[in-house]
Amino acid sequence: MHELRIAEDLAAMVEGYAAEAGLTKVEKINVSFGQFIQIVPDLFVAAFSEAARDTVAAGAELDIEIIPAELRCLHCGSGYRPAGDLCACGICGSKEIALIHGKELFVKSIEGE
Amino acid sequence: MKNILDRNQNKAEEVRSLLKARKVMMINIISSPGAGKTTLLERTCELMSGEVSIGVIEGDVTTDRDAQRLKKYNIPIVAINTEGGCHLDSHSIFKAIEHFDLDAIDLLFVENVGNLICPSQFDLGETFKLAVVSTAEGDDKPAKYPMLFSEARAVILNKTDLIPYTNFNMDSFMADITAINPRITIIKTSAIRGEGLEKWSVWLRTQLEQFSAG
Repeated sequence: MHELRIAEDLAAMVEGYAAEAGLTKVEKINVSFGQFIQIVPDLFVAAFSEAARDTVAAGAELDIEIIPAELRCLHCGSGYRPAGDLCACGICGSKEIALIHGKELFVKSIEGE
Repeated sequence: MKNILDRNQNKAEEVRSLLKARKVMMINIISSPGAGKTTLLERTCELMSGEVSIGVIEGDVTTDRDAQRLKKYNIPIVAINTEGGCHLDSHSIFKAIEHFDLDAIDLLFVENVGNLICPSQFDLGETFKLAVVSTAEGDDKPAKYPMLFSEARAVILNKTDLIPYTNFNMDSFMADITAINPRITIIKTSAIRGEGLEKWSVWLRTQLEQFSAG
C-alpha cells in the first residue's frame, strides 16, 4: 500500500501548484506512470481521493496515462519495447541494456478554476 | 512535468551526500518477510566486528524484535517502527541517522520492511540496494518482482540448505535474474549454517574499499 504515501505527496504537490496558479478548485489532474512502476491504478485513485479529501483537489478526476517501457541496447544501440519484463536486445541478443522509459511517475498538468 | 516522488528523492540525495561526506556506506536490504535479513545481519556482525564499524537501522512494522536480536553485538541500532507502513522512506532515514555518531561508523545497514514491492520504489539515499531471497520462496521471484532485482547491486540467495526439500530450480533462477540485471552479483548462502558467508564478506569488503576510494 505504498500507493497512499505517493498519493499524499501528489495531493501536497497539487495544492502547491493550485496556490501558484490561483486555483480555488482543481477538477482534473493528469499524471503519467511508467509501465514498470509498481502502482495499481485503481488503488492509487482510491488513495488519492482520500489524501485530497480536505484540499482544493477534493473530488478531482485523476487521469492516469501509462507510458510503455522502452529499452536501449548498450551494445548495438537499438531501441526497443520489451515484450514482457526487462529482456535482452532483440537485434543482437546483448543483455547490457538501459531503461529509457518505464519508471516515470509524473504530474503533467492540473485543470481547475 | 514534475516527479511525484521528488519530495522523497530530494531528501534521499541529502542523506546520500551527508553519508558520503562522513564516509559511511549505506546498504538498503530488501526482501520478503522471512528471507533471512536479520540472520544475515547477525552473521555479518560476527564475521566483521572488530574490523568494520557497523550500524543498523531496523525497519519493523509493529515490534522491535529484529532490533532486539542484534543488541548482543553492541552495535548502534536505531529502530523505525512504521506502524503498519509497508516501506521506509528517506525522511524517516534522515531522522534516524541523527541518532548515530556517523564518524564512528563505516557501514550502515538498513533492514527495510519485509516486502518486495513497496520498498523498491523509495530511494533512501543508500549507496546501493541488496536483495535477499530465500530458496523456499521459489525461483520465480526475480521474474515476478523485476523492479527490485533490476536496481540491486547484489542478491543473496539464502537458505540454500533447503533446496533438496523444495522445487527451487537454480537454472531458471540464474537465467531470470541475469536477464533482468546482467551486472548483478549473486551470492549463495545458508546464513543459518554459515555457508557462503566468506564470499559475502569478501564481496562486502571490496564494496567498502571502492566506496572509500571513490
